[in-house]
Amino acid sequence: MKRLSELEYGESGVVREIRASQHELNCLGIRMKKQVKMITRQPIKGPVVVVVDDMEVAMGLDTAEGVVIETGEHEGS
Amino acid sequence: MALPVQERWDLVDIIARKTVAAGAYRQNLGDVLGDLTVRPLTGIPVAFAVLYAFWSIFSSFAGALVTDGFMVKVFDSHWLPWLQGAWSDPASIHYFLFVGDPLAENCFEAFGMLTSGLFVAIGVVLPAIIIFYLMMTVLEDSGYLPRLAVLMDTVFHRIGLHGYAIVPVILGLGCNTPAVTATRVLETRKQRFIMMTLLAIFIPCGAQLGVMLEVIPDAVGWVMLFLLIGFGIFGFILDRIIPGSNPEILIDVPPYHWPLWENVTKKLMNRTKSFLKDAVPFVLFGVLVVNVLYLAGIIGALADLFEPLFVTWFGVPKETVGPLVAAFLRKDLAVAQLSAIAMTPYQMITAVVLVSIYFPCVATFVVMLREGWKELAAAVAVLVATVFIYGGLIHAVGILMGVA
Amino acid sequence: MADTSRTVLMMGNPNVGKSALFNRLTGGDAVVSNYPGTTVDYTKGVLIENGQEYEVIDAPGTYSLEARDAAEDVAVRLISENPGATVLVVLDATRVERGLYLALEVIERGCPVIIALNMIDAARERQITVDTRVLQRILGVPVVPTSAVSGEGARDLAGMLRKAQKVDIETVRARADGQFDTPEQSGGCTGCGGC
Ligand SMILES: Nc1nc2c(ncn2[C@@H]2O[C@H](COP(=O)(O)OP(=O)(O)O)[C@@H](O)[C@H]2O)c(=O)[nH]1
Ligand SMILES: [Mg+2]
Repeated sequence: MKRLSELEYGESGVVREIRASQHELNCLGIRMKKQVKMITRQPIKGPVVVVVDDMEVAMGLDTAEGVVIETGEHEGS
Repeated sequence: MALPVQERWDLVDIIARKTVAAGAYRQNLGDVLGDLTVRPLTGIPVAFAVLYAFWSIFSSFAGALVTDGFMVKVFDSHWLPWLQGAWSDPASIHYFLFVGDPLAENCFEAFGMLTSGLFVAIGVVLPAIIIFYLMMTVLEDSGYLPRLAVLMDTVFHRIGLHGYAIVPVILGLGCNTPAVTATRVLETRKQRFIMMTLLAIFIPCGAQLGVMLEVIPDAVGWVMLFLLIGFGIFGFILDRIIPGSNPEILIDVPPYHWPLWENVTKKLMNRTKSFLKDAVPFVLFGVLVVNVLYLAGIIGALADLFEPLFVTWFGVPKETVGPLVAAFLRKDLAVAQLSAIAMTPYQMITAVVLVSIYFPCVATFVVMLREGWKELAAAVAVLVATVFIYGGLIHAVGILMGVA
Repeated sequence: MADTSRTVLMMGNPNVGKSALFNRLTGGDAVVSNYPGTTVDYTKGVLIENGQEYEVIDAPGTYSLEARDAAEDVAVRLISENPGATVLVVLDATRVERGLYLALEVIERGCPVIIALNMIDAARERQITVDTRVLQRILGVPVVPTSAVSGEGARDLAGMLRKAQKVDIETVRARADGQFDTPEQSGGCTGCGGC
């Protein structure tokens, strides 16, 4: 388990928990059991950009810290 | 009859599973470019390149090519002499109002409604905003703005905003009025207030930029630098003193696509049309008002009244009061008027910065009012303080550097 | 309150092509750009279809009826201020899932709804297929594939506006769970022409 903000470039995983801004994130496609992939993390605590369902979403670092990701063998939908 | 949120999402999932089938997704060139322009290592240089290209095309095309190469010749060698000859009675009031100075050699100095007014509106500002909007439309339609927002996020964070504030800023560089409405993309009242206030004070519009490039090409860089620094300093302060929260950026980043020619031309047409319809009459009217106020001695009286403030505090000649009155109607006009006043280069920079920050033009004022009168009143209070403090500060910098 | 039965309110997520479609339908001048949040205020236009005059309103994009910012707030207010208006929900065919949430919320409000499945060209290019007929039968409202850039489907959409349906969310749920072969019991044929 990792925070979304801790994913390496190009690393992906499955969303297991959303601790804050749940509704807003859901509306942008970041939901439980979704596969997300890290595209970039901006320097100096900047935002992160992830891909979910082939669509890019940008979010602030604090928001990304509230999303718990399972990386590794398990495949999500 | 409303479902609980989670059940609604469950239903969405079931329906989507039964209706949507995605084939293997192939990354295309747009996606690759999309990633490259949002990663800091490649994206930041690209952002600089894009903004630099934007600026250099804008300044060379609008200023040098169209205005100097064509409009100046038409207006100064044909229109002005013809009008000066054809209009009867150079000593009359109507000559002063419409044609201006009978001995003027160019349309900037004549200062009649049909000479300077038309020249500023059609000869200088029109080409500037057409080229500006053309490039802005390409930025808007390609899908670059959200990526620029991601790259700029860290910077905007320091002043209580987030990266998506780049949208009202870029729109504001075209015209402040749609930009004020566009502050609605920000989430909280605090963010909207900060953005609106900074827009009204520190973001010069395309029309003003166009005139600046024409009349003070060497000083434009300095003026922009002072405005940028002011944007940062006052944003930082506002963020500390305004109560409220600063939510983070959270946006969809759409895929790139080619701007559609049809859409680009349509937007360009509409924006140009609304400039001709809304702005040109204001420029002409502005010249008229200022000329009437001159004749009535009101500008002279105001200049005497504000002389101590202007000369001692801001370090600019008292004649700049006239343009500041005009600035309330149109900033482009005010900058054009400033250029006719004898000043040192640093005084010119100061005066142009003052014109930019001192008051939003009427049109901006009206849309700000629509977003809420309390916000407007607060913004005006901030503005008065800012003009006073920042104007004095710039003068002080000039004294320290030994140029003021 | 004014009669809003001939009002068509366009709702949908940001950047799905609402304004582009609005321009197609009404010949209007709504601003179209490729970033979310282009439209922050509403635009009205007129569409005449079969001798029937509709007032079409292009609303700012919103992800749900819980407004997140002032622009979304405008959209949410429009739906309350126009009870009885037909709501034209615009979905992006390349991201149907996201738009469905809003579509369901609108259906739950009891508004007559019709769906435009816009960006159908982009979906084809990305090899995403959406089964319009199944979607139509589950939701019980007309679903019209459109492409605002090419104009494909815009005429069909205009012709279908009068067939917008109010549906009960429980019947949607029942049909989604598999019993969609009994349309008569669950609110009747939608008359959407999809069968
Ligand atoms: N490929 C494709 N692009 C579209 C379509 N409709 C709109 N667009 C593009 O999608 C972007 C968003 O359109 P806009 O009308 O501003 O969306 P709105 O925010 O929902 O009003 C623009 O760049 C349009 O050119 C469509 O049917 N197909
Ligand atoms: Mg729109």
